[in-house]
Amino acid sequence: MIDQIPGDANPYYLAAFVLYLLLVLGIGLWGYTKTDDVMDFWVFGQEMGPTLATWSLVANFVSSVSVIGFIGAVYVEGYSFMTHTIFGLMLGVSGLYFVVGRVRELNVLTLPDMIAKTTGYEIARPISGSVLLANGWLYLIMQLVGASLLVTTITGVPYEYMVWVIGVVFIIYTVLGGLVSVAWTDLLQAVVMVCAVVIALVYMISDMGSLTAINTEFAALDSAMVHPTHEGTYTALMIAATIVAFFGTIFTEQNMLVRIAATKDVRTAKIHLAGAGVILSVFYSVLILLGGATTVALLDSGLGVDDPDAAFPVLITDYVSTGIGVVIILAVMSAILSTTDTRLHSTGITTARDIYSYFKPDASERRLMRVSRVATVFFGVTATAAAVNPPGTIIELYQLRAVLLTSAFLLPVYVAIYWTDLDGRAVVTAIIGGAVLGLGTDLAGGGIGAIPSTFVGVGVAILILLAGHYLLSSSDKGGGVVTNN
Amino acid sequence: MTILGMPEAMFAVFVATILAGSLGAFHYVIVHVLLGKPFRDEAETAVTSGDGPEAIAERGGEVDD
Repeated sequence: MIDQIPGDANPYYLAAFVLYLLLVLGIGLWGYTKTDDVMDFWVFGQEMGPTLATWSLVANFVSSVSVIGFIGAVYVEGYSFMTHTIFGLMLGVSGLYFVVGRVRELNVLTLPDMIAKTTGYEIARPISGSVLLANGWLYLIMQLVGASLLVTTITGVPYEYMVWVIGVVFIIYTVLGGLVSVAWTDLLQAVVMVCAVVIALVYMISDMGSLTAINTEFAALDSAMVHPTHEGTYTALMIAATIVAFFGTIFTEQNMLVRIAATKDVRTAKIHLAGAGVILSVFYSVLILLGGATTVALLDSGLGVDDPDAAFPVLITDYVSTGIGVVIILAVMSAILSTTDTRLHSTGITTARDIYSYFKPDASERRLMRVSRVATVFFGVTATAAAVNPPGTIIELYQLRAVLLTSAFLLPVYVAIYWTDLDGRAVVTAIIGGAVLGLGTDLAGGGIGAIPSTFVGVGVAILILLAGHYLLSSSDKGGGVVTNN
Repeated sequence: MTILGMPEAMFAVFVATILAGSLGAFHYVIVHVLLGKPFRDEAETAVTSGDGPEAIAERGGEVDD
């Protein structure tokens, strides 16, 4: 249940928020005029250049989880969040760089496309598409919770209304222009949020003396807050499992594959991951330091919060000046909507490309475009409804879907794109086994004994993959027929 | 021992994270910019353009004399 955070309505914040929504709606309308066919809608006509692709990836990557959730996480556990989560994410971006040549060469549009192509089993398309839909839908809820919590806090408009306002706006502009609208709004949003987070940290440093002073005071609150393992709270096994879980999400998220497909060639695909890796790793370092500054500022000012997700919103409303507050709000809204629209766009393409077209292989492009748009509206509206009363905090949901994605897809899919003789049935079974065991053990308490759920899921997936391959290929030389669609 | 007010080990995690995110950029600059190695799709084009006129003709292409 969302805690209502009392806050006085601030007309400057409300005006900035309304202008922001009108601007992205305008870009969405413009994107609609540039969308001629379903390939434009899904993957920008595969014509995205290096600059747009890089900044669009940055914008897509940084979300309400990053800004609201990560700062909330630092408020609770300090800089150890850098060790187990941010490090894993950044390693994942670079890891994907090293396989993107092969991925782009396959010329697939979605992750299920890649799975079907490498296994030869078209049934893998709706199966994996369903897992990705579940992930995309969870992510949408997280984004909406973060956005609405923030805007409710800063504008004073009740949460249950604000969640619908934001939900409807991002549904409209995403459904109008697909990836064309999403990418161009991303470009603007990425630049705004990177600049604004840097400005916010500079403001906090000048306000509190120096970075050293902030960290010294952070350590004085609790020395564990500036320790890589929170002074032993996180064991090496837990840290390793979390790094693997977040490393894996970079390879297995539908929107990452869609973006790779949207680049115009391998060079662009490599540049966008190389450039985004540098920008994001610096950005997240700044953001985590800002989390430390936020914690010190709030606690020193007697503004401590019960809900960690409320830490950053309270800093904006009750600590910084209105001018800095407006800058930060635009950044946070950019971070939130840029990720939300991408995930929403992914649910549309997953439904139409990976599930609907499996059952209706002769569907026309016009029909697929319509299915994409209907699915976009459906998942957007249902996620908005669920966000009114979300099932957990932002970070809890974020970790849950990381375990699900990595357990299901990381090893089966990426082993399969290089091990071309791998039995397709073994790959599909490993995906199902990894998903069920990874998610099941996570929901049941986080693992089996001392083994974290990520390792259970990934371990089961690799065992099934190897056992299935050798058993099936020894009894029958069958595997799938590699498709070339 | 502290750096910027945090223990050395914590500072090292920040540095390691920036390096982890920059591995792709290092590879791109060294391999593709400095050493000039072609990309996968360019490599295929380079092989094709290096074929003799007979090979091009076999694929149905035109040969300029």
